[in-house]
This record gives sequence, structure tokens and C-alpha cells, in this order.
Amino acid sequence: MSTSESNEAQTTISNPEDMSLSYEPLFDATEEDNGPCYLPSYSSEKVEVDSLSSTSEGVSSDGSDALSEEGVLEDRQFSEKEDSEISGDKGNSELQESFDELISGDLHSEEGETAQQRVEGVDRSILIETSSISDKYPETSEIQVESAAENGNAEVHNSYQGHESGRGGVNAIEGLATAIGGNGVLKPDIGQNEDRLKDNCVQGKQHQYEDDNSTAWRKHKKHFFIFSHAGKPIYSRYGDEHKLAGFTATLQAIMSFVNNSGDSIKYIRSGHHQVVFMVKGPIYLVSISSTDEPLRALRRQLDLLHGQLLLILTKSLEKCFLKNAKFDLGSLLGGTQNVFSSLIHSFSWNFASFLCSYTCLRLPHTARQAVGAALQDIADKDILFALVLSDSKVTNIVGADKASLHPTDIFLLSNFVSSSESLRTTESFLPVCLPKYNAMAFLYAYIYYLDKDTCLILITKNADAFFHLKDCKSKVESFLTESHVLHDISNSVARGGLRIDDLPGGDVLYGSLPVSRVMGDAKESHSISSIKQRTGVGGAAGLWHFIYRSAYLNQYIASEFLSPLETPQAQKRLFRAYQSLYVSIHGAPTGPHQMKYRRDENFVLLAWSTADFEFLAAFDPLAEKSSAITVCNRICQWVRDLENELFFLGANPFNW
Amino acid sequence: MSELDTSVQLCIFDTSRGQSDGQELDKILFFYPSESPFSAQLSLIGLGEGIITFTKMFSPNAPCDIIDTEKRSHVFFQPEPDIWMILVIEKRKESGELGRTRALQAILMEAHGLFTLFYGSIRALLLNSPSGDVARSCLQAFLPDYISDVMTVKRLSMLSSHSGLQERGTIQMMALDRSTALEVQSVVDLLQSWFGSGRIHHTLLLFQDLLVSTTLPPEDAAHLYTYARMRLIPAAISTSSGGHSLKKVLSRANSSSVHLKASASDITAAGQRPSPADSSNHHSQFFTPRPLQHDKWWRDNDGFLVTDAWGVDAQGMSAITPTVWLQQSSQERMKLVAYQHKQLTVVMLISVMHLAPNADGSHVLRNQVLEKASNKLNALEDRLSKEWGGINANHVPGYRYLYVDYDSRVSKASPAGKIATLTKDSLLSLDKVRSEIDIAKGRCDGSGEAQPYELETCVRTRSNAWVVVRIRGNHELYLVLERASETLLLTAEATEKFSRRHCDGIFASD
Repeated sequence: MSTSESNEAQTTISNPEDMSLSYEPLFDATEEDNGPCYLPSYSSEKVEVDSLSSTSEGVSSDGSDALSEEGVLEDRQFSEKEDSEISGDKGNSELQESFDELISGDLHSEEGETAQQRVEGVDRSILIETSSISDKYPETSEIQVESAAENGNAEVHNSYQGHESGRGGVNAIEGLATAIGGNGVLKPDIGQNEDRLKDNCVQGKQHQYEDDNSTAWRKHKKHFFIFSHAGKPIYSRYGDEHKLAGFTATLQAIMSFVNNSGDSIKYIRSGHHQVVFMVKGPIYLVSISSTDEPLRALRRQLDLLHGQLLLILTKSLEKCFLKNAKFDLGSLLGGTQNVFSSLIHSFSWNFASFLCSYTCLRLPHTARQAVGAALQDIADKDILFALVLSDSKVTNIVGADKASLHPTDIFLLSNFVSSSESLRTTESFLPVCLPKYNAMAFLYAYIYYLDKDTCLILITKNADAFFHLKDCKSKVESFLTESHVLHDISNSVARGGLRIDDLPGGDVLYGSLPVSRVMGDAKESHSISSIKQRTGVGGAAGLWHFIYRSAYLNQYIASEFLSPLETPQAQKRLFRAYQSLYVSIHGAPTGPHQMKYRRDENFVLLAWSTADFEFLAAFDPLAEKSSAITVCNRICQWVRDLENELFFLGANPFNW
Repeated sequence: MSELDTSVQLCIFDTSRGQSDGQELDKILFFYPSESPFSAQLSLIGLGEGIITFTKMFSPNAPCDIIDTEKRSHVFFQPEPDIWMILVIEKRKESGELGRTRALQAILMEAHGLFTLFYGSIRALLLNSPSGDVARSCLQAFLPDYISDVMTVKRLSMLSSHSGLQERGTIQMMALDRSTALEVQSVVDLLQSWFGSGRIHHTLLLFQDLLVSTTLPPEDAAHLYTYARMRLIPAAISTSSGGHSLKKVLSRANSSSVHLKASASDITAAGQRPSPADSSNHHSQFFTPRPLQHDKWWRDNDGFLVTDAWGVDAQGMSAITPTVWLQQSSQERMKLVAYQHKQLTVVMLISVMHLAPNADGSHVLRNQVLEKASNKLNALEDRLSKEWGGINANHVPGYRYLYVDYDSRVSKASPAGKIATLTKDSLLSLDKVRSEIDIAKGRCDGSGEAQPYELETCVRTRSNAWVVVRIRGNHELYLVLERASETLLLTAEATEKFSRRHCDGIFASD
């Protein structure tokens, strides 16, 4: 314990200085990911949870959506006979019934139950809709029961909570409801040194009222669509899914036209635009973008989007389509808009999205070990994985024997957790699926924020493990709090990642630096003279930014965006350039290129790929080749010397 | 059912035609292979049109470039408003991804460029003959020859990946020293100084397959140069029959198509001609020249090149002089007369407008050339062949390179034999790098040309070769260095050295 205490002392001393350096203007809500700026649209669902009357409103709006979709269906002649047989009145009355039921239920329910009802209500409205579509398909309702049961599981645990901790339980239910139901709350300003690019995400549905006829909609730089093989929209990044039914039907028609000739379409390029098609069983995914990202990067993004869908619903959703081609998946996803929009946003700031790796919180080795010990301590047969994420970065992971967590699963899980604002306020127990671990089955995730940035996730196969996991949480929490490791972690989060100006500069011998000093107080450990020697803006030799990826650890480390990469535009440009560079060295038909140097008007980029590691760096466009190479070599050596702190070494290597 | 080879399909269609139901076939102007069932033709056009409409939603100014499917690549090119060409290439299992889209589009561009050189624009043909028969027969007469030409060079699907150090549609110049250049200029001036019925408007001089001099603007020069390389240079003309057989061939042509009456001029002004009811028997109605037909150019005894690809005149006594349309300079129709002495080929263009009606000015010109210029031309040939450094003249030891100046459409490259020594890995890597750059360049084209594009890229491939690209404005340099021990710095230095010595220092980094 003494080591971690001394570490803590050091970090607290260094903090003020560090902070003064690292603090940047925070969260800039007006900057939006792509396209023109609009005010964030708040979804109505947040309001629903708050009051009784609005709950029924919320449900009724769900219901009317279902109805209007029926109409669309008929208009588009998608439906076969069964569809046309259904009279609108019938559906209407059934819906009305369910509303009545809901409202009457609400009358004598607690606030917590309201939320519960709402979840149920959404489900029921799906039930009504699908059963009205086809009386001929009794299986459909069976499926609904399945999915309702899944939700039911969650509800059961919520009610446990309710019994146990009163108000807290209510919060938990609210949390779950909003986690599943999503909300329009903007991410609060978190007092930490974060890339602003990351914060640019406007949560909730953007441009809700656009459709394929509006010019504004067509001008968005990057569209994502998920729809069923029958052409029924499931998700669209922009615009209202229901209004886009005609558009997704067009996409589906293109795909099936090519399919008819025994072929399948992969992509279309027209000028700046790329349309990328992906088929995943009965789920079709399409992106339309004018961002000039390489094809392989776009494919990876569609893969991730599909993975996110599986994380929420598992692959067994495909069975629903086998049973009923016109199955409406959109309603099962009700309110998960945030998860998808934050995922798509991460495609333009999170290096993990193209590096197929995860990044770790920079933490003194002892602190990381302490977290590991705490997690190891609670590991038992019920816990499949235990991980601590801080600010979307991994602090430590412990897995049951032989089980390993794929970086993609970490990425998707982290996105799912961080994009659900309500999970921050309370403990939650949710069904999730880790697509790379087992795409077919649900696991259960116990999620609890130890502090405002740091989140404990316990994953179990056992649907009844809530109380057990709650105990585990308490153990971990008390251990981490008492040992001040939690404090170390929050300091690390506040300090942010690696900074270019932390790096040993000029003639300082990196090897001779005591590790703890480099970690603890970067400023002090490097002489002022070495700082003065720097050429250009940024780090040595005009270095602006770098990423180091360890191939066998499947982890990467990226430096913070510093001057002159202050603007989100500059950061995004660099992000895209890195992405192209990375894809380009890996896209060679005969294996990855070993090295790539690229200079254009924006920067000099260097990529270096070896069996052990990959290194990407950005320099000032006027940087000298020779000094840039020297700096790169130095950083690589330095990173390897600091592996203990920068990376999490205990993880099992992944086979993929 | 015989198995139809559909590994390569080429289709040209006009989206402004056949708007009403049941008229869809009217859209099709050309389809290769022509034996394809109509259903397959319509299916391809349907797909093409559908995608074009679809992509216009998002990218109204640049509709569809390529559709890539599991088995095929569909490369699109829109040469004229509403007119589309689609090249469909079946992917071979081993090669997987197809090479550069641009390289394949360049084939379509070249095909269209040559077509307009001989027939004028497709739209003009359609305006003259609204039924489309003339346009169809012209395309039918031209494209199959072109396709077979392109295909014999290499398998089309492999073309792009092996042409990383070649640039279609550009001209390779012969390097001349100053006094030779002056002599060339004086010969050209002499040829163009003659007035009278056979005034020469433009000339194009080639030594072997290298351009020595031309008075044409870059685009027309590139088209005519391409044609000359394909059919007129000593290596390309028919050797089997020789000059003596012309009479024989002419008489044979005469007897086989007795009612050949129309000449090329009738084709290009075919509006007045009654169009045949069925386009399939148009050959019997009027003659459509086949400029790319193989073995149709001979060297006559007097050194002039003759062909019967444009048919023979009414008397059946002499071949009709080919005509070409210049697009860039004057939209004018010119008679093409070519003279050859050993390795030197002189292409002369005479304005049709300056000729008396029905008078073929070419023999007047022939006499003039023979009397006044042949000595000079022969002397020039001598001098050029002395100056010529052999087929490896452009070889720079240690480098495999391509340098393109898109302003003047001139390129310079390592000799093909030397490029062939590169490993497949290097070529594929180069191809990959080039296709990335194509896309990046496309981005710059769109966003206004406020500042010239500048780029420097060095890639070290898996097999330790270096692929270097330098781009500054419209000048591009591609280098492949297969010296394994090189570092990035040494490679950059080698590039710098090459640029200084062989590219006038255009890419100097200071």
C-alpha cells in the first residue's frame, strides 16, 4: 500500500501544474460531427420518465409510430396479402386498449413502476403491431414473448432493487429505462482534459424531421442505414426511419437486383461519394459518405455498427426474420439512438474504431496492479469478466480462466455504457451480448460508476447474480477507495493522456529517466533547456501527435491533441489522415507495408509497421525527414521503456 | 447454347432515349459481346441507369464511377451528356480486388477519344440520324476492333495492375538535342508552307513510337498519336501483303462489295441518307470505315501509307483518304495523309474545306512531298536514328519511373522491358498507392483548384522495395526502387537526385 500512497502524494503535487497546462476550453456544444450545425434535438423519452401523464403520451407516440408505419407499409406495397387485410381500425382499437391498460396501471403505480411500465409499454406496442400484421404467424408473438422476457429479466432485478434500497432502486429503474430507452441529455461538462473532438457528439437523434427528399438530408456527409432484408428501416443516422422506408426500399432493391444475377454488391463510388453495402444475414447495412475515408475503414465501421446491434439484441434476432420477413426490429431498438449515434461519432475521434485495439488509462504500475488485485479478489464462477473503465479507457480487466475479451467487444461495450447517461447515476443490471465472445447469447452486465469517470463493469452469465455482483462491487469500491487507488485514477483522468511536451526532448537520455518521475511530474523531470531546444510548434522536430500500437498486447496509446491541433477541424483531419494511413499500410495485397512517409499541405505523416508494434506520427508539414525519424525512434524506445504504465500487461493476448 | 464469354462487357447507352415503356432497347447504342441476349443487355443498362439516378441524389455533379460487386467491377464513364459507357470486368479469383478504376476509365476515355477522332461525337451522329442507326453502326465498326486490340495486349483484368508505370492517353516524346529540334522545325515549316489545294494544316512526326513534333493541341495530339502508334508506325503497318498487293486488295474489296458507294463523308453527314430499316444489314447499304481494323495499312512504293479501311472510291481505283475530326482545335474535318521513311512517320492533316468538292487533294500533296520534302525527311530520319538511344534510351539505372505532365499530356517512363523486371509485389503496391492518390486527386478536383495539389509519399513494401510518389500541380512522378538496403532518407535523396536530373527539378522540395 505504501507504494501507491507515495504515488498518490506525487501525483497530487504534480497535479496543479499539470492541470494548468492541460486544461483546455471545455465541451463545445455548437460543433457538430458532420454537416451544418443545428441545435441538439431532445428526444421526448426523457420527459416520459419524469411524469405520469407524459408516460402515456410517450407510449401513444410509440403506438402511432407503429400505426403510421403500417400505413407506409401499405403504401409501398411491401406487404403481401396479410398486410392489406388488416384494417387500420382494428389495429387502432387494439392499441387503444393497451393504452388504457397502461394508463390505468399508471394510476396506482409508483414513479419507479411507471418507468417499468414504460419499458413494458414499448414492448407491448410492438406486440400489438406485429400480431396485427400477421395472425398467420403465431411464432411472431412467441418471439415477442422472448424479447419481453429479456426485458422482464431486467425488470425483475429492478424490483429487487426497489425493495432493497427504496429511492435508490427507483433511480436504478429510471436508469435502466433511460439506458434502454435513451434520452436527450447532453453529456455534462466533465472537468477533465479531453479532446474536444470527442465531445462534439450531439446525443440523441439529429435532424429528426428530415427525409430523403430534403436537400439538407442529402448533404450530410455520412449516412448510416440499417434495414431488414425486406427493406424495412431499422436505423438511420439522420432523419426519421419511418419516412425513410421508401429510401431503404430503394437500397434493398439495388441489392436484390444484383443478387438476382448471382452476385452481391459491395460498393459504389461516384465522385466523392461512396456507398458501401454489407449483408449480415437478414440485416443489411449501408453507409453513404463523402468523407473520403478508405473503403476498408468504412467496412469496419459497418461491422462495428452491426456489432453494436448484436450487443443490444444478440444474433438470435436473425431468427425473428426467418420466421417473419417483415419483422419490425426498429421497435425493439426503441430509444437506443444514443448508442448508435455515439458509436458513429466515435468513428471520427476514437482511434480504437480503426486500430482494432483498446487504449489504457495511463496509470502508475502499482495503481493498476491494485485495481487488478481488487478485481482478482472478487473473481469467482459467476463473474465472466470484470473490468474497470475510466473515461472510455481500460484501467484493468480480469477474465475467467481462458476467456478473453476482444478489443471490439470492449469498444462496443464501452460505447454502450458511456452513451447511456443514466447509467452514471446508479447501479444497473442489463442484458448485453458480446458479439465476439458469443454472438448468440445474452450475458448480464452489472454497471456501476465508482466515481464520475470510472466505471466498474461485471459481466456474468447468471441472470440472477445481481445481489452477488452488488456485493462484489462493494468490496471493490471499498478497497479502491481505502487504498486511494480511486483517487489515483481520477487524477490520471484529470491529467489526461500522454502529452507531446512530456516526452523526453533534445539530448535528454530517455533511458536514464526514473520511470516514476516521468510519470509523476513530467515538467520537472525534463530540463527547461530541453524544452527550449524544441524546433517548430509542438514537440521535438515539429512533432504534433503520435499513436503507438502494441501488436501483441492489442493496445494502443495516443498522445493528446495539443497545439497546433486545437481546433476540432484540425483534429478530425488528422484523425482521418491517420485512418487512411493505417488502412493503407495494411491494405496491400501482399501484406502490410513496412513504412510509409507522406507529406501534403497539412502535415508530414509517418507510419511504421513491424511485427511487434505499429507507430503513427504526425509532424509539421515543414519537418525535416531526418529529425522526424530520430524523434520517432526515440518515442518508440521510450514507450517500450514505459510499457508498465502505458499499457495493461496482464491481459491475455487475443487470437483473431 | 454456346457459352458466351462475359468476362468483359462493354456497353454504351443514351439515357435520353427510350423513355417510354417497351422502348428500352432504343437506349442501347452498343453492346459487347453483341451476342448477349437482350435481357442481359437490358439488365446491365437497368442497373447502370438505376445507380446513376441513385447516386445523383447525393452527388449530382459526379454520378457513378464504379460499382463493385463480389464477382465483377462495373466501371462507368460519361463521355458526353446523357451518354454512358460501362465496362464490366469479371474478377478473377486469384487477383481479388481490381486495380485502379482510373486506369480502366482511361481505356474508356481513350476509346471514346479515338471514336470521336474518326466519327465525331456520338451526340452529333444521333442528331444527324435520330434513329440511332448510324451511331450504332459506327460504334459497331469501331469498338470491337478496339477491344480486341486492348485485350491482346494483356488480359484486361490484369491491365491496370501492370500499367502502374504507364499512363494511357499520354504522349511519349523523343528527346532531341537543340540542332535536331531546329531541323525538325524547319521540315515542319516547309510542309506547312504550301498553299493551294493541298494545304497542310497540322503535322505529327513520329520516330518509331516516339513523338518528335506536332502542331496539334495536346488533346488532339494525344488521340492522333495513340492511333498512329496503334496502326501507322512501322511496327504496326501490315507487312504481310506489302505495297504491291494494294491493287489486288482493292480489286478484291471492289468485287466483294460492289455497291460500295458512300464514302466516309457520307457517313459523317449521314442525316440525309435514308437509314436502313434494319441496322444489322447496314453493311450492304453504306460503308462504315473501320479505322482500327487490323492489317489495313500498307506502305506504298512511294513511301505513302494507304488503307482501304475507309473504302474505295466510286471507280474502285483508289482508296479513299481517311478523314479525322479535330475536337480541340477547330471542330474541323481533316484528311489524313501519312508518309513513312524507315522509322520516321509523318502524319499530315489537310482541311477538307480547302479542297475542291470531289477533289482528293492528296495526290497533289504527294507529288509536292516527294518533290520538295522527301530528301529533307530522309535526312531527318538519318539524324534521328543516330540520335536515338535505342529502346532503353529512357532507362535510368536503379530507377523504374513514370513521369507525367498532364498539362501537355506528355509522359516519360522506364522502358517496358525494364518495368517487367519489377516484382509483382512492387507493382501491386504501386498500383495500390496510385489508386489511393487517384481518389485523393479526385477530391482536389472537386474542391476548386485554388491551390495546386502537392504530395510526397514514400512507401516501403513488405519486400523492401520503395514506392515513391511526388506530385506538384499537374506534374506527377512515380518511382519504384528495389534496392533493399535503402532507408527512407536515402530514398528521399535518390528521388531528389532523379527529379533534378530528369524532371527539371520540378519536384525539388525547397
